[in-house]
Amino acid sequence: MLYRTAGQFKTSYAADHALFPVRQDAWLLGFILLVAYVLFPLTASEFTLNALLVPVLIYALAALGLNILTGYAGQLSLGTGAFMGVGAYACFKLMTIFPGMNIAVAIALSGFFSAAVGVAFGLPSLRIKGFYLAIATLAAQFFLVWLFEKWAWLYNYNSSGAIQVPNVSMFGLTVAGPGAAPVVKYYFVLLTVTLVTWFAINITRGRIGRTWKAVRDMDIAAELVGINPMKAKLSAFAVSSYIVGISGALFVFLWRGAAEPNLFDIPLSFRVLFIAIIGGLGSILGNYLGAILIVALPVIIGSLPAALGLPLQSATIEHLNVMIVGATIILFLIVEPHGLARFWAIIREKLIMWPFPH
Amino acid sequence: MTRLLKTVLLATTVAAGLAAPAFAQDSVLLPNLSYRTGPFAVTGIPLMNGQADYMAMINERDGGANGVKLNYQECETGYNTEKGVECYEKTKAEGAIVTQPWSTGITLQVLPKSNVDKMPVLAPGYGFSAMQDGKVFQWAFNPPASYWDGASMILQNIAGGNLDSLKGKKIALLHLDHPYGKEPIPLLESYAAKYGFTLLPIPVGLKEMQNQSAQWLQIRREKPDFVVMWGWGAMNAGAVTEAVKTNYPMNQFVGIWWSGLDGDLKLVGEKGKGYRTLSWSMTNPDAPVMKDIKKLVVDTGKSQINKEAGEYDWVFYQRGVLISAFLAEAVKGAQANFKTKVVDKEQLRWGLENLKFDDAKIKELGLDGMIAPFSTNCANHTGHSGAWMLEWNGTKFVKASDLLQADRAAIDPLVAEKAKEYADANQPWPINEECKM
Repeated sequence: MLYRTAGQFKTSYAADHALFPVRQDAWLLGFILLVAYVLFPLTASEFTLNALLVPVLIYALAALGLNILTGYAGQLSLGTGAFMGVGAYACFKLMTIFPGMNIAVAIALSGFFSAAVGVAFGLPSLRIKGFYLAIATLAAQFFLVWLFEKWAWLYNYNSSGAIQVPNVSMFGLTVAGPGAAPVVKYYFVLLTVTLVTWFAINITRGRIGRTWKAVRDMDIAAELVGINPMKAKLSAFAVSSYIVGISGALFVFLWRGAAEPNLFDIPLSFRVLFIAIIGGLGSILGNYLGAILIVALPVIIGSLPAALGLPLQSATIEHLNVMIVGATIILFLIVEPHGLARFWAIIREKLIMWPFPH
Repeated sequence: MTRLLKTVLLATTVAAGLAAPAFAQDSVLLPNLSYRTGPFAVTGIPLMNGQADYMAMINERDGGANGVKLNYQECETGYNTEKGVECYEKTKAEGAIVTQPWSTGITLQVLPKSNVDKMPVLAPGYGFSAMQDGKVFQWAFNPPASYWDGASMILQNIAGGNLDSLKGKKIALLHLDHPYGKEPIPLLESYAAKYGFTLLPIPVGLKEMQNQSAQWLQIRREKPDFVVMWGWGAMNAGAVTEAVKTNYPMNQFVGIWWSGLDGDLKLVGEKGKGYRTLSWSMTNPDAPVMKDIKKLVVDTGKSQINKEAGEYDWVFYQRGVLISAFLAEAVKGAQANFKTKVVDKEQLRWGLENLKFDDAKIKELGLDGMIAPFSTNCANHTGHSGAWMLEWNGTKFVKASDLLQADRAAIDPLVAEKAKEYADANQPWPINEECKM
């Protein structure tokens, strides 16, 4: 009923290749965008914006970056956290060396630094695959975090070894730093995430995305049909690290406000990898669903007992939280090993058939 | 329709019934970003217990501060900076009038926001040493002593009162590789240059806290005359056991006040004899306040402390009591000054800025012998109580020195310099111009 596709005829190739061959998908997206752009900013409290919406968006962006590499191009990476760090430190250095720089430009540029680092550490992918490549990216992870700690120039010789975000304004409006209004930060992050997602959807659908998928599925066959695996793999590393770098810059500048090197350590990489895997490898939507599950669910569970008036100790809630979230992850992976995005795809298919299943 | 109406009515009554007791008594929300989980839980738990029990005792004995309930609540962070932001936002939304960030990493994130949110940050004995400068850090308080105070006092004590005697000596700083552990380095470096000793910073990464064999191998090779430790959580126990294993002389091993957990030293017992830790707090189970806590909170089973381990007598537990005493006194001070019952954030800021723990006050509160006198003002948010050196005698910590005082002449210029640096890096940063001290 809701998803009835009857009567939606395609009369040209362009229409058949459109982003949304089914009209309801476009409506759904429009509705989500409306909620994100209008409803949330109007209704959400400061806590919801700062502790739920902004982190979900930023983590989803990081997972999107990783998903391009792991999900679309099939190259497993455990260095996401460190690449986020490269973006964050690059943005910090750009902002302190050129104080007048527009933060949007600084964030866009910082992605290039992490893209360069990503390509450098992606070189081993030309010879090694799978778990072996994961170990190589793990080396990037350890090396970069060590570098963030030891290279004092990166944090401007701050005695505590941390970087801090100053107040940054753009067109007269404070967008980052302690003085920025949560709604402004939210809009900034949302806009960036929307833009990057739009870019990612299109690049993965197009020629480049297809070469990635070909290399992922069988690199020898891909090479035989004329795809240059070196180009495909390195471009995947570059695009992926670029997005991850941007998300790292947003992570520190638009959300945390301060960061010490160990923030970018391996737990962050794993967290992003979990989001990508649970959301669904090789999908764009999955990153958002995964981020909601991994980032937002614990926050919501954490505030439930207080809202219901249950007199639980804060530490007990934390223990319960870990158990519930862990169980949920296992449950979802058992029910649908291909991730939440696949879960949604099945629901959608059923809706299209409903009420007359085969 | 009537049924729906009935349900709504019923729901409202139930909700009102649930909510009603909360409004029965005026209260102020004083949250604590606790960490009873994670790698730092061992050090966190006794402190949090002390804080909670003092507040519970005041509510039980006096019915709160002048009839206003001190609503002490914990928000668990596990020392994780991400959870820290979440807890800060959550407690702020619930109407908190103070934030106690605990980790230096969380302090770093919260500090710049304090000006904007007008939220007092209470970081007793931790956080930035430069927070002492109350004109720059209007909303942050680190009574009764800062890390730089601590570093200065430790040096004085190990030098036997004469810093020139350190000439040519080698001092290793075994520190957590984290903003917290790096705090004393600028001051120690300036001392090293001035008095001609060698400073050897030895970082311990968060991942190596429990296994410090590499660090202690370096110590064995370098043979420093003293090892000064800025350790926290699982790192302290790791360092003490490694020191015993490598036979490092315990009387040359000194920790800052967060490296003096009784439980860590109990692990090595007699072998840890001679280990010293600086402390701005002292245990006194006979102090009236401790007796009241024992009677009203511990013996009635309302406390979470581990009685079997003797946590009640631990330095950290009683230090937690003192921390809550600072906060409760700030609330009372603000109540008296503004002639109001339920104080808000700005009034509490005044209270914290005008803490006066003189001998009479300490006696009146029943904190006899637990802390040295200090007072804060608008230019000085630390107060500088000084500290004692405590020594592990094999079963517990005992006082091993008179009250030490930090070398203000060396610290104050550094505070001014770093505070200015911070304000400059975070422009526009408001400075309290009204303060003429």
